Amino acid sequence: MITNLLRLAWVFLKIGAFSFGGGIVIIPMVENEVVVRYGWLTKTEFVDAITLGQVTPGPVIISATFIGYKVCGILGAVVSTLSVIAPSFIMICLATEAIRKFRENKILANFLRGARIAVIGMVFDAAVSIGRSSIIDIKTLLIAAASMVCLFKYKVNPIWILLGAGIVALVT
Amino acid sequence: MDEQVKQQAEQLYMRGLHVFARCADTQSLKLVAELWQQAYELYREIGDESKARELEKLLAGFYKKKYMLTQQRKQPKPGLVERFNDWTMFLKIGCFGFGGPMAVFTLLEDELVRRRQILTNEDFLEGAVLGDVLPGPVTMDIVTYTGYKLKKWSGAIISTVVFILPSFVLMIILAMLYDRYRITPKVEEVFKCLGAAVTGLIISVGMRLTKAEMKGYRELCVLIWAFASSLIFKLDIVIIVSLAGIAGIVVYHKDAAKENLK
Repeated sequence: MITNLLRLAWVFLKIGAFSFGGGIVIIPMVENEVVVRYGWLTKTEFVDAITLGQVTPGPVIISATFIGYKVCGILGAVVSTLSVIAPSFIMICLATEAIRKFRENKILANFLRGARIAVIGMVFDAAVSIGRSSIIDIKTLLIAAASMVCLFKYKVNPIWILLGAGIVALVT
Repeated sequence: MDEQVKQQAEQLYMRGLHVFARCADTQSLKLVAELWQQAYELYREIGDESKARELEKLLAGFYKKKYMLTQQRKQPKPGLVERFNDWTMFLKIGCFGFGGPMAVFTLLEDELVRRRQILTNEDFLEGAVLGDVLPGPVTMDIVTYTGYKLKKWSGAIISTVVFILPSFVLMIILAMLYDRYRITPKVEEVFKCLGAAVTGLIISVGMRLTKAEMKGYRELCVLIWAFASSLIFKLDIVIIVSLAGIAGIVVYHKDAAKENLK
């Protein structure tokens, strides 16, 4: 129990520190740690965790709560959520304190610029990882395509897409 | 002669009264004080003692009042408890922040900049830039940033926790339900379709980011390299992101040096 809690804390601290550009980036990393390395969740459960993270309000990183709950119950949920928030929380506070220095530091700015580009690659990687197990027939393929077009081209609020997908699932 | 001066004093007094009745800012209050002071001196000059004393009293009371006004302005900033309304606002946004970062972003801007005027537009943008550059979801970063601006560390902790709390509680409830109902076919079907929709959502996010960040073939190379090394070679994300960051330092530093030479 204690070892698992410590592991959860470590894994999510690491993930939280590298979640550049929002929560979606962390999906491949979470999968690697949680499914492949420690075997806490099956692949299906993992995809469901991400899906639930999208359905709830708030950022995707809240999927950490679900994973923590699965591993160690409520305590695990608390530990993993706090760990995933902590790194960015501390960084933001420190950066706000020293905003001028932060802005003028060219090396840091260039590092973050480069990191942000790598992160886009991670996002596509996440799409492959989730898509592989959730796009299994014509229907799901159509849903994915429709949601992509609606979001990218028409900038629909994602909650309507998710609602629509849920309704499609119940009706057909 | 005396009559003329008396009239002048009367006029000064009336003008002061006029300003006093209309405005209450420091500038006009100063003007009022000056006018009455002049009137007082004129009364003393012509020896109208009763009027002079009257004005003296008025001025004394006036200065006291003005003193109080400036005191009010120096009141301490509201404490943690007085900010209760702002904390509940974060809770509200945490509850209704469905639909991804853009929706929450608009909600936050509306509340913080327009309605409550806690942040100026520049402050908000600065927070957004920080959130964009540093790790963590942008919306949560802005919430942390605002909390820190309001009340340093304690404010940041309160605002972040309050913001994340609704999703956290909902997620725990969903996780509990999940264990019980996941196996039923209907739920299975819903999860399948939601997963597909989420896939589309992730792709659209990636495309939007690509559109925003792609400035040349160098960026494209890094992107494809990052994608491939994560997917095929299973390289750790920490290594990938760090390497890309170092590449950024080298490449963009050279760019800046070249521009300087020109």
